[in-house]
Amino acid sequence: MEKRKFLLLLDELLEIEPGTLKGPEALDDVEGWNSLAVISFMALVDEQFGISLQPRQIAGCSTITDLTGLLGDRISAENRT
Amino acid sequence: MINPMDLTGQTILVTGASSGIGRETARLISQLGAQVILVGRNEERLAETLRSLDGNGHRAEAFDLSSTDDIPRWLKTIAASSGPLYGLVHSAGIHKLRPLRVLGSESVDEVMHINVGASIALAKGFCQKSVRASRGSIVFLSSVSGLAGQAGLAAYAASKAAIVGLTRALAVELAAERIRVNCVAPGVVTTEMGQSLVGMLTPEQGAALEAMHLLGFGCARDVSNAIAFLLAETSRWITGTVLVVDGGYTAH
Repeated sequence: MEKRKFLLLLDELLEIEPGTLKGPEALDDVEGWNSLAVISFMALVDEQFGISLQPRQIAGCSTITDLTGLLGDRISAENRT
Repeated sequence: MINPMDLTGQTILVTGASSGIGRETARLISQLGAQVILVGRNEERLAETLRSLDGNGHRAEAFDLSSTDDIPRWLKTIAASSGPLYGLVHSAGIHKLRPLRVLGSESVDEVMHINVGASIALAKGFCQKSVRASRGSIVFLSSVSGLAGQAGLAAYAASKAAIVGLTRALAVELAAERIRVNCVAPGVVTTEMGQSLVGMLTPEQGAALEAMHLLGFGCARDVSNAIAFLLAETSRWITGTVLVVDGGYTAH
């Protein structure tokens, strides 16, 4: 999945304006990022990619880009063509 | 010396017998003298459970309970070779931690189908004259999630609350046929399923969840003891009830 599309899913998950999240945002500054959002993020990743993340992996993330980094090559860079 | 929970000579079918509460229930009731029919999807793990049972005459049946329409006919085939069934323990089920925002209709349907639909189909199959013995006991697995709220568990909680309603309705409907219907509502136990739930929580959330269980998390045997009680003569005057086995989770 393109990173842009995944960020839109995260916008929707957190109920913030589509296109708000770009990647460099610090999780501490993201509106709605709380313990339930962590579980929701894990569930979203499970639903979309079949990947079971562990809470400690998320605890080690400080930015949105760190979160998408957990998905490795399942997230691709922006398609510019 | 007497054993009030003696199950000698009773044939009892246990679903979800390849792991957790189902496996432990199969072990315990075999120790109490029952002949056990183990049901699960994974043949290898069922064989493992089978090897761990006490006594002889047990068997394993690999079956996917999501094929609910096939369950009544399948139970007829089983009873034709094993003899009439006295008991049914439905321990198979699925658990999904899905906060409302990410809870899709597909997940809801899947959880309700397996946790509720299969329960109804099993009860329907069990009550057939050619399947059941002259009297019987059905034990379903509900959960404290069906009785007390917990974030992220809407679909699972709804399915487990449905089991409580199902238990009471069937207790009334089947009393005349001398079939008792009860359910057990466990708190978090340290089975594979319980551990996968706790594994999805942060360490702080996990510790808070355990603290709500006044006696700590339980083990599979804590729940199988209650199931055996509901199968045996010890509960002959009990039907339509929910036996809460939760280490005090719902006490506050």
